[in-house]
Amino acid sequence: MIMFDRRLIKNFGWSLFLMTLAFSFVSLLNLYSASYETGLVSFKKQIVWVGIGIVTLVSVSFLNYRFLKQHALHIYCGAILLLLFVLVFGKEVAGSKSWIDIASLATIQPSELVKIAIILVLARFYDNDYQAAPYGFLDLIKPIILIAIPLVLVMLQPDLGTALTIVLVSGSIVLFMGIKKWSVAFILIAIIGVSFYSWHYSLKPYQKDRISTFINPSSDPLNAGYNAIQSQIAVGSGGVTGKGLRSGSQTQLRFIPAQQTDFAFSVLAEEWGFLGGISLLLLYFMIILWMLDTSSRAKDRFSMLVSFGIAAMFFWHTVVNVGMVIGLLPVTGVPLLIFSYGGSSTLTAMIGIGIVLGIRMRKFSMSADPIDLK
Amino acid sequence: MQDFRNRLLIATVILGLAFLVLGSRLWYLQVLRGDEFAEFSRENHIRVERIPAPRGRILDRYGKELVVNRTSFDVYVIPKDVNDVDHISSSLSQVLSLDKNHIDNNIRSALTKRSFKPVLIAKDIDRDQLAYIEARRSSLPGVIIEINNLRQYPHGSLGAPFLGYIGKVSEAELKNNPKINNNDLVGKTGVEKGWETNLRGDDGYIQKVTDALGREVQSTLFLEDLQNKKSMPGNDVVLTIDIELQKAAEEILGDQSGAIVAVNVSSGEILALASKPSFNPADFIKGIDSKTWSNLVNDKSSPLLNRATQGLYAPGSVFKMVPSVAALNEGVVDQEEYLHCPGYHKVGNSTFRCWKRGGHGWVNLRGAIVKSCDVYFYKIAERMGIDNLSKYIRAFGFGSVTGVGIEERAGISPSRQWKLKRFNKPWYKGETIVSSIGQGYVSVTPTQVAMMTSAVANGGTLLKPAIVKEIVSYSGEKEFRHASIVSGKIPVEMEMLELIKDALVGVVNDPDGTGRAARIKDMTVAGKTGTAQVVSLDAQSDQRKHRDHAWFTSYAPAEDPEIAVTVLIEHGGKGGAVAAPIARKILEVYKTLKEERKADDNV
Repeated sequence: MIMFDRRLIKNFGWSLFLMTLAFSFVSLLNLYSASYETGLVSFKKQIVWVGIGIVTLVSVSFLNYRFLKQHALHIYCGAILLLLFVLVFGKEVAGSKSWIDIASLATIQPSELVKIAIILVLARFYDNDYQAAPYGFLDLIKPIILIAIPLVLVMLQPDLGTALTIVLVSGSIVLFMGIKKWSVAFILIAIIGVSFYSWHYSLKPYQKDRISTFINPSSDPLNAGYNAIQSQIAVGSGGVTGKGLRSGSQTQLRFIPAQQTDFAFSVLAEEWGFLGGISLLLLYFMIILWMLDTSSRAKDRFSMLVSFGIAAMFFWHTVVNVGMVIGLLPVTGVPLLIFSYGGSSTLTAMIGIGIVLGIRMRKFSMSADPIDLK
Repeated sequence: MQDFRNRLLIATVILGLAFLVLGSRLWYLQVLRGDEFAEFSRENHIRVERIPAPRGRILDRYGKELVVNRTSFDVYVIPKDVNDVDHISSSLSQVLSLDKNHIDNNIRSALTKRSFKPVLIAKDIDRDQLAYIEARRSSLPGVIIEINNLRQYPHGSLGAPFLGYIGKVSEAELKNNPKINNNDLVGKTGVEKGWETNLRGDDGYIQKVTDALGREVQSTLFLEDLQNKKSMPGNDVVLTIDIELQKAAEEILGDQSGAIVAVNVSSGEILALASKPSFNPADFIKGIDSKTWSNLVNDKSSPLLNRATQGLYAPGSVFKMVPSVAALNEGVVDQEEYLHCPGYHKVGNSTFRCWKRGGHGWVNLRGAIVKSCDVYFYKIAERMGIDNLSKYIRAFGFGSVTGVGIEERAGISPSRQWKLKRFNKPWYKGETIVSSIGQGYVSVTPTQVAMMTSAVANGGTLLKPAIVKEIVSYSGEKEFRHASIVSGKIPVEMEMLELIKDALVGVVNDPDGTGRAARIKDMTVAGKTGTAQVVSLDAQSDQRKHRDHAWFTSYAPAEDPEIAVTVLIEHGGKGGAVAAPIARKILEVYKTLKEERKADDNV
């Protein structure tokens, strides 16, 4: 039975919640423009997803994070099962087996949700096996295995973008918890070795193309470099104030590839200019800052680490996605959380915000826990 | 927890730095380079469609149309708009009677390139085919009709050798004229080539909004970005040619190989310029097919050669006007002096025969011209020598191009220097002898002979022949009007020229004249016959290719010359018998036309 404490309402993180609502509004407005010429299909779907997402966010925020701590391993195992399921029964889209069809109504991408599971399981690990001194390589075998299992499953789909964010987010947590210098060196060497190996034996030609066109986008303007060039033209041509809603020629005439999903930011930058773009970046900055602040005020290691992990998730998604859109980083399939069209990533982001909100709401209740699910 | 506070502080700093980098890049792209990218995005979605400007028309001197334009309807298919390739290609193959597989392959191969670029199926379809396709537009998605301009020749092959033909632009032409586009048709020969810059219009364009796939966008998006430019048709070129006289000249030539040139003696305007055999310029309209082209090029009768300006021939006796002027002006002979013609003339060990074996007896200059005595000219040529003679050959314009503006050849004006340069050999006396009767090295075009005749007729002025009278812009402004250009003055005194002109009247009108076949009622014709040997002096053969070229050059009326007519019939035989009657017919037509037009003016 759920017992409810009025303090929860009082301590509810209204600022983060309002920022989330602002986000949802801006992203829907942007999607309205980006999908207008194709009949607003994705716009209408995303309204539903945002609705589901907000309800989920509020529900999750009222869930005690201790419950998450207790069940972190279960959630993790459930996520692994989903990944295995998708590998066997998944729906293949554009060469990747990453989606599960739910009664033909919607498709979900378990690899997005897996990130939350990894954050939870890592936080649980560090909570149990805490040591003040920097971790050595041997101490890290357990967390590395915990990261490696979903990572390998995601790479088998293959979903390079999600794999990259898994590495970045879990790497951030590991680094945050401290690690011996020589272990850092060892891991760096391992990463270089793996990259070298992948480049020669494992990466698909289109993936290699993406990396080499990032280095020189005009080398192949019609194929691999096309996305990068068109995206930068869209962003640049937006100027200071932008071309106006539904007036971005790059967007409306579909010069921007994946403009509703991975390149949604370039739509905003084209139609709302520098002012629109920088405002959205500031909004992300505030959200992440808010999460880091929650982390610093957390009353235990688990909640501190979870807040930090979710902040890292938002941080890396934003940096990798926006960096790609504005030509600072290679083209990888990393969506901009909430802003990119897509149910799974929106849901993941909403759950993440919900968890942080839940932690924030409970920062004042050091001892007595008003909510107990048992 | 203090430890973690510090780490979180570091994390916050990293967060701030990363967002600073993102924000700076955004600033760089949007604020610093915004205008540049705005231009890129504009170019991205605007497609420029060219509106080809029609070429100017080519008209005769009275404004009658020789070359005009007509509309052609071309069938294209936009592969991406086709939903059933099989249906489209079978329908089109039926209507256009083309191979179905060919159309099918064309569409399918373009489909794989994810393109909205139209694929050409057929050019210049006929009205029935157009009506059929137009009526079934809705069941033929992806099929479009484009309108183009094509050359049209209302009089068929009339005047083809000087009008010239058009063809696909070459690399070199493309480089020289920035107004020309790839695949454009440009003038390749004749007036079409010579006046290309006037005939060519200024292409216009329409800008259209297209999406990333190159498909035209039908909505009203971005219309304010568009600019259009109207096409400007090329200038009309009005020729000096009289279409009626031209028709007459080509009809009279008929199947014979040869050329006729009719020139206004006081202005140099060419009234008719016929060359046979010729070609049909309509074969070139859409770009000539390789089979027709190779047939034309390999044809032994050289239909692409404009014999009037490019054909080089020995002039034979029509050339005698030159040594006549030279001898009188150099004073080596006068009208009173009679020279004896025994039928041959000996120089050293060589014997040079007169065409009349029995000889002409004692003849003076007039008699020598009238009867075309060769020996008389051998003797005066021997007296004046090659240096004096070649001076006059050049003065009459031989050995250099006339500058008429269409393809022509210079021919040969022989001289000591020329022979030394050409053969690295000295000049022999015998060569002077044969040069005097238009044989040996001398080679000329019929147009040069016509200009020589004009110079004699008009009192010694060598004119530059003209084929273009006026150039009129699309809006009716005259951009150019012909004024006669003097190429040179013949060094001769008027009384001397009058003597020669009197002899030329005698050629046609004297009882013993060689050109009596050119006489016409009510108009005095002056002229000179010529029979140019083709192989060697003694060749006797029935084979047509060994027969002599027949020449006749004339002007009329003799008292106040207006027109010069030069006729050359390849391997025609005797000039007096073959070429003179042709000249007579042309002069008759000229006279009739003149009287008719005068009557029309009076009415």
